[in-house]
Amino acid sequence: MAGGNKNKLSREEELLLQDFSRNVSTKSSALFYGNALIVSAIPMWLFWRIHQIDLYQSAVFFIVGTIVSTYLVAMAYKNTKFILKHKVALKREDAVAHEVMKKLADDKKMTKKEKDERILWKKNEVADYEATTFSIFYNNALYLVLLIVASFYILKNLNPTFNYVASVGAAAGLLALFSTSNN
Amino acid sequence: MKLWIAALLLAFACYIPTGAEEESEARLLVAKNILNQYLVEGKDLTVEYRIYNVGRSSALDVRLKDDSFPDADFESVRGNLRVSWDRLAPNSNVTHAVILRPLKSGYFNFTSAEISYRTTEESTERQTGYSSSPGEGGIVPLKEFDRRFSPHVLDWLVFAIMTLPSLGIPFLLWYSSKSKYDMPKAKKGN
Amino acid sequence: MAATGKVLVVVALFMLPIIANGDMCLGPQVTSQTYTTPEVIVSTETVFIVEFSVTCKNGLKNINLYAEFGGKTVPASKIGEPNKFQLSLTDEHKKLPSGTYQVRVFDEEGFAWLRKAQRSGENTENIKPLFTLDLSHPGVWSGPYLQSEFVAAMVAIFVWWSAYTAKSRLQL
Repeated sequence: MAGGNKNKLSREEELLLQDFSRNVSTKSSALFYGNALIVSAIPMWLFWRIHQIDLYQSAVFFIVGTIVSTYLVAMAYKNTKFILKHKVALKREDAVAHEVMKKLADDKKMTKKEKDERILWKKNEVADYEATTFSIFYNNALYLVLLIVASFYILKNLNPTFNYVASVGAAAGLLALFSTSNN
Repeated sequence: MKLWIAALLLAFACYIPTGAEEESEARLLVAKNILNQYLVEGKDLTVEYRIYNVGRSSALDVRLKDDSFPDADFESVRGNLRVSWDRLAPNSNVTHAVILRPLKSGYFNFTSAEISYRTTEESTERQTGYSSSPGEGGIVPLKEFDRRFSPHVLDWLVFAIMTLPSLGIPFLLWYSSKSKYDMPKAKKGN
Repeated sequence: MAATGKVLVVVALFMLPIIANGDMCLGPQVTSQTYTTPEVIVSTETVFIVEFSVTCKNGLKNINLYAEFGGKTVPASKIGEPNKFQLSLTDEHKKLPSGTYQVRVFDEEGFAWLRKAQRSGENTENIKPLFTLDLSHPGVWSGPYLQSEFVAAMVAIFVWWSAYTAKSRLQL
């Protein structure tokens, strides 16, 4: 058992590493890009129906705009999640510990170390989950506000196609910017 | 020689317009205006005629007619395009309004209406005049107008429904996790 | 002799109204239709149109009528036989708000009395019109009260604001 520790990180260390790294798992990544795509595609409806853009004529702009926006929004999701995860973890620490301890209270075979590991793992999972979902929620809300204000108030008199490119670009860009600056 | 010149001058004097004479007669000026902000097919078209008597005496048997709106292109809603007054006092004005509804869209040239009246009590001849012409206007098809000016309430509602999953689902997931694990510190140490 | 004289005077007095009313409309029956501007797009000023038809019991045709409404005194425009008239009034939107307007229609005699009262500054409300018409104006629609994009923006801002406060609480 002791020999295994040298060339393999313990689960605890692995978890800690994961905690502090900005890398997200593929599952998370897929979730982020998926949501970003949906949110970036929705403005097309607004512009088609209300600003009266011809779908076929501006198809290129729509596709490029959606792709760029998807990338920026996903980036914003990642950044926000990373920032929030630690704070959430701190808050949920006690509650998670309490729950896990309650669940494993009758299990006499597990060592304290194992139980702590379980707690850590569970805490990480909960924090990850909460941070991910909240990040998506918050960023979607902010994206929509920025989009509506930009497209219907600030850039109201612009040619509809320019309006689309500028609004979506500004909304996604500002979203990414805000996500990096927040502490 | 002098006599000859005087005779010549007198002869020409007949042709000098005498302003005084005109003013003791009635003189009507008609302004025709389209009061619409937008001309839309199927929506009311408001035509206003303002008749001013700038002469010194009453205009008698005044008849205003406007034949410039073909029946095929405009339908009458209220008001008549042919109207008359027995007498219009000097220095007075009268307003006449007609509501039409354009049946077709496209460019339409709004031309003058015709007015005829007797200038004095004794005269039997009728004086004819024309109103101002509002010029060309474009009548917008109803569909175009609705697209530009309707409040798009339905479109916004659909938009709201589309954004609901993107906002609602992450929020609910987060909230369920939050409420599950959000224990106030006071409850700790059970 | 004196008695006959008196009878004659009385008879003459009775006849006088009948003679005098030779060209006055008696017992007018009126049918009318009205129009008021429905929305600002169709007119930059509020327009009232009253088209009415008068039938006199004594069969008079070609009468002259005058109307007082919206504070203005205008001659009624003749639009057809017999006795079809139109009254038009145009003024700024704010000067003709929604409500019921009374249109007092006078014949020649009534109009003369009205003008006299106006000139001497007397109260014109006592002068009895030939008949009165009521015009109800529901008001001019000047576009939706709240722009839909305003509502959308407000809702979006509200949603974001609640998310922001939740986020701040998380980050405490």
